[in-house]
Amino acid sequence: MNLLSRFRSWLKWMVKGQRLESEMEIEAQFHLESYAADLVRDGLSQQEAMRRARIEFGGIETHKDAVRAAVGVRWWGELATDVRHGLRLLRKNPGFSAVAVLTLALGVGANTAIFSIVNAVLLRSLPYRDPDRLVRIYFNEPGLGLRDVRFSKPELDDLLTRSGVFEDATPVFTGSENLIGAGRPERVEGVNTSFSYFSMLGVIPQIGRLYGPQDFTPGFAPEAVISDGLWRRAYGADPNVVGRTIRIDNDPLTIIGVLPRGFRHPGPTTTADAEVFGAGGFSGDPFPSPIRSNRVLVSGIGRLKPGLKLAQAQARLTAMADELRHDFPTDYPPQAQWTIEIQPLQGTLVGHVRSMLLVLLGAVILIVFIVSLNIANLLLARASGRQQEMAVRFALGASRGRMVRQMLTESMLLSLLGGAAGIATAMGALGFILRFVPPNVPRLNEVRIDWVVLAFVLLVSVLTGLAFGLAPALQSAKDALFSAVREGGRGSGYSTKTGRLRDVLIVSELAFAVILMVGAGLLVRTLRDLLQENPGFNPTQVVTANTWLGVANDPKADPYLNIPGKVAFDREVLRRMKAIPGVELAAITSSIPTTNSNPNAVGGIPIESFVIEDRPVESSQDLRGERIRVSPDYLKVMQATLLRGRSFTEDDEDGKQPVAIIDESTARKYWPDRDPLGRRVRFGKDHTKPWLTVVGVVQDIKNDGLDVDGVPHIFVSAYQDPNKQVSVVLRTSLPAALLEPQIRHVIGSIDPSLPVFDIVSMDDILDRSLASRRFSADLVGGFAGLALLLASIGIYGLLAYTVGQRSREIGLRMALGARREDILKLFLGKGVALAGVGIVAGVVVSASTASVMASLLYGVRPHDPAVFLIVPLLLFAVAVLASYLPARRATKVDPMIALRES
Amino acid sequence: MGKQVDLLQGTLDMLILKAVSLGPLHGYGVLLRIQQISGEQLEIQQGSLYPALYRLEHQGWIASEWGESDNKRKAKFYSLTASGRRQLQSETEKWNRMASLIANILRTRSEEI
Repeated sequence: MNLLSRFRSWLKWMVKGQRLESEMEIEAQFHLESYAADLVRDGLSQQEAMRRARIEFGGIETHKDAVRAAVGVRWWGELATDVRHGLRLLRKNPGFSAVAVLTLALGVGANTAIFSIVNAVLLRSLPYRDPDRLVRIYFNEPGLGLRDVRFSKPELDDLLTRSGVFEDATPVFTGSENLIGAGRPERVEGVNTSFSYFSMLGVIPQIGRLYGPQDFTPGFAPEAVISDGLWRRAYGADPNVVGRTIRIDNDPLTIIGVLPRGFRHPGPTTTADAEVFGAGGFSGDPFPSPIRSNRVLVSGIGRLKPGLKLAQAQARLTAMADELRHDFPTDYPPQAQWTIEIQPLQGTLVGHVRSMLLVLLGAVILIVFIVSLNIANLLLARASGRQQEMAVRFALGASRGRMVRQMLTESMLLSLLGGAAGIATAMGALGFILRFVPPNVPRLNEVRIDWVVLAFVLLVSVLTGLAFGLAPALQSAKDALFSAVREGGRGSGYSTKTGRLRDVLIVSELAFAVILMVGAGLLVRTLRDLLQENPGFNPTQVVTANTWLGVANDPKADPYLNIPGKVAFDREVLRRMKAIPGVELAAITSSIPTTNSNPNAVGGIPIESFVIEDRPVESSQDLRGERIRVSPDYLKVMQATLLRGRSFTEDDEDGKQPVAIIDESTARKYWPDRDPLGRRVRFGKDHTKPWLTVVGVVQDIKNDGLDVDGVPHIFVSAYQDPNKQVSVVLRTSLPAALLEPQIRHVIGSIDPSLPVFDIVSMDDILDRSLASRRFSADLVGGFAGLALLLASIGIYGLLAYTVGQRSREIGLRMALGARREDILKLFLGKGVALAGVGIVAGVVVSASTASVMASLLYGVRPHDPAVFLIVPLLLFAVAVLASYLPARRATKVDPMIALRES
Repeated sequence: MGKQVDLLQGTLDMLILKAVSLGPLHGYGVLLRIQQISGEQLEIQQGSLYPALYRLEHQGWIASEWGESDNKRKAKFYSLTASGRRQLQSETEKWNRMASLIANILRTRSEEI
């Protein structure tokens, strides 16, 4: 029968199998009765005729089975039988089934949970209209070593009209905003864009309307769109919220719409999800006049025209940048090599967590391998106990293929049960895991167990079922052939072949465990090193607090527009903070170390280019650094080490000589062989800005993260160059929670309209900055512990089984004079040999693959000798212990009993 | 042992096609017809009849239809399809060729070689 007709008949059977079965029944019945009737006509009694007919015709079921086989659907009937048989076996061995299903549930559950995160974060398309056409736009100055620099309104217009590649494009301002609603002033995360932002993303509001071109104003529009979260929190989900007024950074804005629940801004935010969305034309107040050199716009995103490939668009943008540099030489100094770059938006959103998630996925896949190998071993042990059953089956005419199929059905059943338990585990564990996922992982709100995840789970389950079922199935079918003849049905015996297969399984299990443990070791060591790292300051007994002075759309409504207003505020804050009992010192900074997660945010710290006086233009390339505005006592509060020169004083104020303190990295990089003190630098390209004189050199402070080195920092006096983002640092022995009311009171008493937020200790901030590393180290470490446990169970189980199987041999050896030490050595030696081979294999594989983890490590080499020494030793010790227990039991074998039993 | 079954099966298929070609029959009728036209010389194994019928139906050589038997009972009647007729013809030719070939071989005497 060809494949097509086979499929047709299978399909027919599947669709109307029940009917066909009953038709067969009728037909057979008819046959029987007709035959009996003929027999009656030949002179038999009715009863005798029916009896003869039945005997000659045989059982109806047999006929049905023959028909099923003839039309090629018997397979399904057999499958049903195998499944029933498998379920019976599972019920009969509850201990085995429970262990197998539980370990599978762990392995598959871990896979499901991690994969559902990977799926949501890395794989699933962004939840916007035609997400493939959304790109992040970068303006770069490779000549100065700068990426993602600010751009001007004319440059934005060039993107939209001159380039011909964008359907839409907008800058994105994110950052703190000061919301005055019903209660006390609150800090919210705001997003400000062009009016086309929502139509570009394809968003539909749940209430009211969103921005459109009709709302255009040169400055900021007096309207706001709010998030579902803010709507529920601040307005109790009031359906009449549209038309109400909120005050954002002192500007009264009318709410025109509420975003749908699932909407998230597709870009980094400073600390939380964006809640207030505003739009502007970027060409009127508070923006500077729209000329090419006024570069104030940040973080461009855009939508490519349909049908345009990324590479084509990039080529046109590169060409346009070349033209612009040629057309406006004064705006684009040749040494900057100004250019435009686009990247798929999805990649830029998740790029920073990709390697972490992939390493986690790798870890859970290793766990599933180990679980599979463990179960394969259990099945193999059970299979050799079932040799008798197999021999009988074989003797009764079962083909080898049929027997393999039966065994595979059993293991598949086990793996599917494990998979189902795994999904249940994942559903329970996912919420738990998500609570520990660091907040810098984007799109976590989209994590759920969907069809893709379920398909993945099914795939993993089937593959593990095959992996742990195939070897034992083939092996036991083969064994059955031999034992049927050789042992005449007396199943037992430790077949060397099965034994070798089990050894291979254990060795690979140990090798996988080594790989996982080495990975975990490297991550844990990185984390430990970072925790012990000297950040350049003393984080203990420092409490931090933040406020945001706001950027009002109407400059006249902004009390902190000019330097004196801001400085007066700063000074008053510091005066009152110092007066709080228990506060020894207080200072202000524009950037608390490790919190500058979004340099493009309003109030964020971008890397800026600067110029050094008296340095020829040719060698002034690649001058860049972060500018941090601090008050005089900052270095004292942080207990940073001033290496040379002086700290800032109260006299370093507006109108006096502008001063700067540089850190070691800056000094080493830009004044390698000269004394930087007294030299002058200037930020940006604006020649009218004053020069800053370097008055001090401070030891490096890890301002951008404990795992970020060598970014040059230039500290300037907050009294000469104050900031809207005001972060207060206090040296105090009091905990943050105790100081919070007083800190709020101080700022509230100076300006009750200001929000106070993130009052936490510096220790907590550093801790938080390592959340991502801690998460992956903890998780991979946990998996490694699980791997260690499973591997030791595996080796223990193998030896315990071997001891049981060979008890007769042991008894014989002992009867012939073997000492207990010899027996101990025999089995311990076996365990040690297996462990040794497995560990060496694992170390070799780890050594050749560890470099994939390099991007997740800091201060630890991928071939860290300590990790590569400790992990094998630890695993070896555990393996020896796991072998010792069964080996000792072997020595307890009583030769008399062992010999008599057999 | 396998070979013999195959041979028998092939023969049975041909016989069934022939029996049905003379007019629609139910399963039991096929059995009776073959016995009848063989002059009661051939007895069909009852166990191989129905698998053969279903197989032939699935191959599209015979078609089945529910009808009423002589004794007014519901029964499934099989009849030859067009492709079944072609199959029967080619099987018959093949069989005849084979039979005469074998007969020739068996007739061969030593002096003819």
